Amino acid sequence: MDIETDLKHEVADLVNLETTLLDRREWDDWVDLFAEDAVYWVPSWANEEDTVSDPETQLNLMYFRNRGGIEDRVFRIESRDSYASLPLDRTVHIVSNILVSNVKGDEISATANCLVHSFGKHGSQNRASLYDFKFRKSDIGLKIIMKKITLIDDMLEGPVDIYHL
Amino acid sequence: MDGSYQKSGLEALVDDRVDEGVFRVDRSVYTDQDIFDAEIEQIFEKGWVYLCHESQVPDAGSYFASDIGRHPVVVVRQKDDSLSCFINVCSHRGALLTPKKQDKATTLTCRFHGWSYSCDGRCIRIKNEKEGFGEEGFDRSQYNLRPIAKLANYRGFIFGCLKDDVEPIEEYLGAAATWIDLMVEQSPEGLEVVPGSSTYVIRGNWKMQLENSVDGYHVSTVHRVFASTVRNREERESLQGLKQTEGGRLVGIVPSGAYDLGNGHMSIWAQHTTPERRPIFKKKNWLEKNLPPAHVQWILEKGRNLAIFPNVMLMDNPSTQIRYVKPISADRAEVTVYCIAPVGEDAEARSARLRKFEDFYLTAGMATSDDMAALEDTMAGSRASQTKWNDFNRGIQTMTHGPDEGAKAVGFDPVSSSESWENETLFFGFYRRWREMMLAQE
Repeated sequence: MDIETDLKHEVADLVNLETTLLDRREWDDWVDLFAEDAVYWVPSWANEEDTVSDPETQLNLMYFRNRGGIEDRVFRIESRDSYASLPLDRTVHIVSNILVSNVKGDEISATANCLVHSFGKHGSQNRASLYDFKFRKSDIGLKIIMKKITLIDDMLEGPVDIYHL
Repeated sequence: MDGSYQKSGLEALVDDRVDEGVFRVDRSVYTDQDIFDAEIEQIFEKGWVYLCHESQVPDAGSYFASDIGRHPVVVVRQKDDSLSCFINVCSHRGALLTPKKQDKATTLTCRFHGWSYSCDGRCIRIKNEKEGFGEEGFDRSQYNLRPIAKLANYRGFIFGCLKDDVEPIEEYLGAAATWIDLMVEQSPEGLEVVPGSSTYVIRGNWKMQLENSVDGYHVSTVHRVFASTVRNREERESLQGLKQTEGGRLVGIVPSGAYDLGNGHMSIWAQHTTPERRPIFKKKNWLEKNLPPAHVQWILEKGRNLAIFPNVMLMDNPSTQIRYVKPISADRAEVTVYCIAPVGEDAEARSARLRKFEDFYLTAGMATSDDMAALEDTMAGSRASQTKWNDFNRGIQTMTHGPDEGAKAVGFDPVSSSESWENETLFFGFYRRWREMMLAQE
């Protein structure tokens, strides 16, 4: 498929912006990158080699059918009343391998890799994820309509929230 | 305790003077590695431990790898539908036999030197046997897998024990059995573990995980942010029915209770102010038709957490959970959580059950994560030997010896009952059992 260079750049900018806003704790701007009907999905592992495949009928680490799910997370972080979120872990996301995989009408699919270094009370750790994105083109640019995060780590140490992913 | 583990020193770690209004536990039970090593030997390798749920080994050849103390074990479904459990180790050189945690196999074949075992544990093939062991009179059966001493299935929950001389499982579970019954009887087809799970590491002692799961007292502090978050969501999105969360017990004073169930088992309950938001509420009519009214009331209206000594917790709240804890060291444990649900549940209820689980229970959820952070702080604080006593006195004056009315209504007989889940009298039984097993002689 021949994907126009401008679109590739636009996708890469958005993917980079998304994780940058998390690391900079610009929560409201981060939420704004998502469409209201955006699905946010972190599957659990069904076994050593495969994650669950149907979020509706199987157990996920996170599964939000609309943007409200991440708004809840931001509400909880900002409340300063969550034991696990005070103090907040520091994070740095390193995103790479951004590839636009499909363009169909207004809908664009892309994949990326992400390594998250975090530091908190118990020291630092690294967790890695595969990202699967879907975006929708609109007059105001691209909006995220789906973000699937396949967290390759199991045996998770410490809490995992949106900014760790 | 410094240095080597001494049974004589253990007695004093549990300060059990209930008549004087005192029940305290020395926090070195969480921090001392010698005590931890003794726990593995005295508790995990001598008593009953939970292994898995029967739905995780559905067909002949299905296996599930678990642990009893330092012993990797594997539960295997046989052709006649019975279950067996073996030490999950090749008789030859000690390699683990099963490549995965859970799978299905026709034989258990060691991937190191290729020795094979049938699912009933017989050694059926030794690679190049004749060349290595001769043609005449070689008895391969000496290499059969070693079965564990005792295996029991209580209504789908599988328990094992490395020691022969142990009470029957029904006797061991005692009053806790009724609490399992209240989960199992919700479906004529029984319960099943839903695909997917999560394993996380707590940087704390395994006993803290058991304690946390039946600690009602922390709920209105640690989880008030969960309650305010879901309340905010429900107002923002105008959610109705099963999409709402049962939040009453998280913030307000509701009827509740705590039981020392005996043998180290503990439980708490709290009244649901909005039981119609629970997935099981959709089966109200069926429950009322098939179960005694007291059971229906307990199932529908009382959110319940059960801790079975020493390594499994069963939660039946807005969602339903098996929480398995594997001790790693004094200050580290692995916890695996599964969603368990009635077989044949309708799609809306199942989906609601899973979404409520994800909301609350996981390390990536909005409540368990806060529990973990609090637990890990108590681990850090427990190292301060100048302030060494853990205080469990709350409710000591008001507890009832034996059953209260609620217990009598469904027929279980606890050691003590407390009229508030904020009371800590249930921990007496846990630490009495702990001390008894730690001090037991061969």
